[in-house]
Amino acid sequence: MTATVDKKRTAGFRSRWAAMPKQVRWAAIAALIVLLYILPNKWFYEYLGFPIGSDYFAFYTTRSDFAGVLFDTAVFVLLAVGLNVVVGFAGLLDLGYFGFYALGAYTVALLTSPESRFGTNWPWLAAVPLAVMVAMVSGVILGGPTLRLRGDYLAIVTLGFAEMIRLYAARNEGVLQGQRGIPAIPHPPGTGSDGKPLFGVVDARPYYWLMLTLILIVLLLVRNLANSRVGRAWVAIREDEDAAEIMGVPTFKYKLWAFAIGAAVAGLTGAVFAGKQTFINSDQFVLESSILVLAAVILGGAGNIKGAIVGGAVTWYLPEWLRGIGDLLGVEFDAAEYRILVFGLVVIVMMIFRPQGLVPNRRRAAEFADRRKEAVPQETVPNE
Amino acid sequence: MLLEINDLTLLYGRIQALHGISLHVDEGEVVALIGANGAGKTTTMRAISGLRPVASGSIVFDGTDVTRMRADLRVVRGIGQAPEGRGVFPGMTVVENLEMGAYTRKDRSGVAEDMKMVMDLFPRLHERRKQAGGTLSGGEQQMLAVGRALMARPKLLLLDEPSMGLAPMLIQQIFEIITRINEQGTTILLVEQNAQQALSRAHRGYVLETGRIVKEGTGRDLLHDPAVKEAYLGVA
Repeated sequence: MTATVDKKRTAGFRSRWAAMPKQVRWAAIAALIVLLYILPNKWFYEYLGFPIGSDYFAFYTTRSDFAGVLFDTAVFVLLAVGLNVVVGFAGLLDLGYFGFYALGAYTVALLTSPESRFGTNWPWLAAVPLAVMVAMVSGVILGGPTLRLRGDYLAIVTLGFAEMIRLYAARNEGVLQGQRGIPAIPHPPGTGSDGKPLFGVVDARPYYWLMLTLILIVLLLVRNLANSRVGRAWVAIREDEDAAEIMGVPTFKYKLWAFAIGAAVAGLTGAVFAGKQTFINSDQFVLESSILVLAAVILGGAGNIKGAIVGGAVTWYLPEWLRGIGDLLGVEFDAAEYRILVFGLVVIVMMIFRPQGLVPNRRRAAEFADRRKEAVPQETVPNE
Repeated sequence: MLLEINDLTLLYGRIQALHGISLHVDEGEVVALIGANGAGKTTTMRAISGLRPVASGSIVFDGTDVTRMRADLRVVRGIGQAPEGRGVFPGMTVVENLEMGAYTRKDRSGVAEDMKMVMDLFPRLHERRKQAGGTLSGGEQQMLAVGRALMARPKLLLLDEPSMGLAPMLIQQIFEIITRINEQGTTILLVEQNAQQALSRAHRGYVLETGRIVKEGTGRDLLHDPAVKEAYLGVA
């Protein structure tokens, strides 16, 4: 019952949104983007009259640096947008997405840090394209043999891949410097109007703005891809790979593309993360994070870019926001610590009641409806 | 000869599904492949369309050896298929499904023409053009699968159990349409359990039993063959 009511409501919003004049839609999107850019500024809240530091139910976080939380959220959103290409568009289950993120971060660290045994001391910006390339190429290497196969091979291989990267980084005392990690990674370049570097240690806002800008760029690229011939091929592969093949879709090629594009986005994200963090070690790339990004994509609605954004934002931001709730109730309780537990439960509940996600893709919803029908015992058994 | 298969064998793991099948389809023909469940009919189709790799033997299509060619490239060469169990894209609308059928084609006006042709052939699809493929009835999905295969303008159309799970009246209808498609110039290789219908509509037929061809002949001859009658037509 609730599902149908809900469907009507979202459908209502969608059709009303689609019915609006183009200018209005563009203006609304522009306003939203501007809002996102001014979100980390303190003056914005003072202007709105929020008492900073007292009200746990204001939407900025109080326990931690709000701009920092926004940056982390943006990292998560970009990862979700990238993984959505793999999981949502092409329907490939990638359980080791953080592996590519780690590769991007380590590539930047090794090339730029004066403490790195590479000794190259590249500027941060020069290392970023290479980090993206490294992630993409390793995506192709990993996907090459596995994407030819059907079934769950990819999930297993990617799971193993991410763990291998992490364990190798933890144990390798040579180049990767084990648990001690790689420090002194330079920040992105740029000088502010006050003559100080634009990207520093104290203020997280410039990183958030950088991340937000990257998200917008990646969004445009991904959206165009989804609406192209390639996007249609992905949908066909996801819905029925055999049928896609006999329509003349080179399935392997397009699956590999989806996988590599996803990996490249993760590599880019990792490169920016390394530039902000200035220090990375293997502890930052645990398996839980891969699963959490996947949970974000599923929660938001796989196959829908808006869904990935919503999912990514909710999965990271909500627990941060709830950090203060223990204080408010007068108990020792940090909601963010229970992130994995809570989102694990949320994903299970979602799979039962709303498998298409919070912001579903029209096609995806129909696919799930179709799959449910198939789950009912069939009278005709396919022969052979 | 449009399609020629020579001594084809195919394995599922260690189980041999096809034991050296040879058959041919001439241009303009309707050829029926009949046999019981598990005889290897669908497997033969999947070998022709390239969804299953073959162990040995050869498949020559339109003068080219396609035995090891990728499935998607065979579509470009002119092999179209409506797969068993229909294989309709459940999340795409009827129109989007049909557009997928024309995925390899670049001639927009030709595609639009064929879209109209398919809609004329199956008025039901026109009524449901904006409906998701997964929400169609079995018969409608079958029509969509056939229509979608036609959208590629194939030289050879492979139809795998087009009558499966359909009501008797719809079966009649779908076979009439198959005949019409053939009259418009498409060669058809048809796999069927409904031997009566298939053989009465086909120019020639092959009988498949446990991965071997045991009989071949004109549709009429097979229809009146006592052994075929007993085994597949339900009359002693």
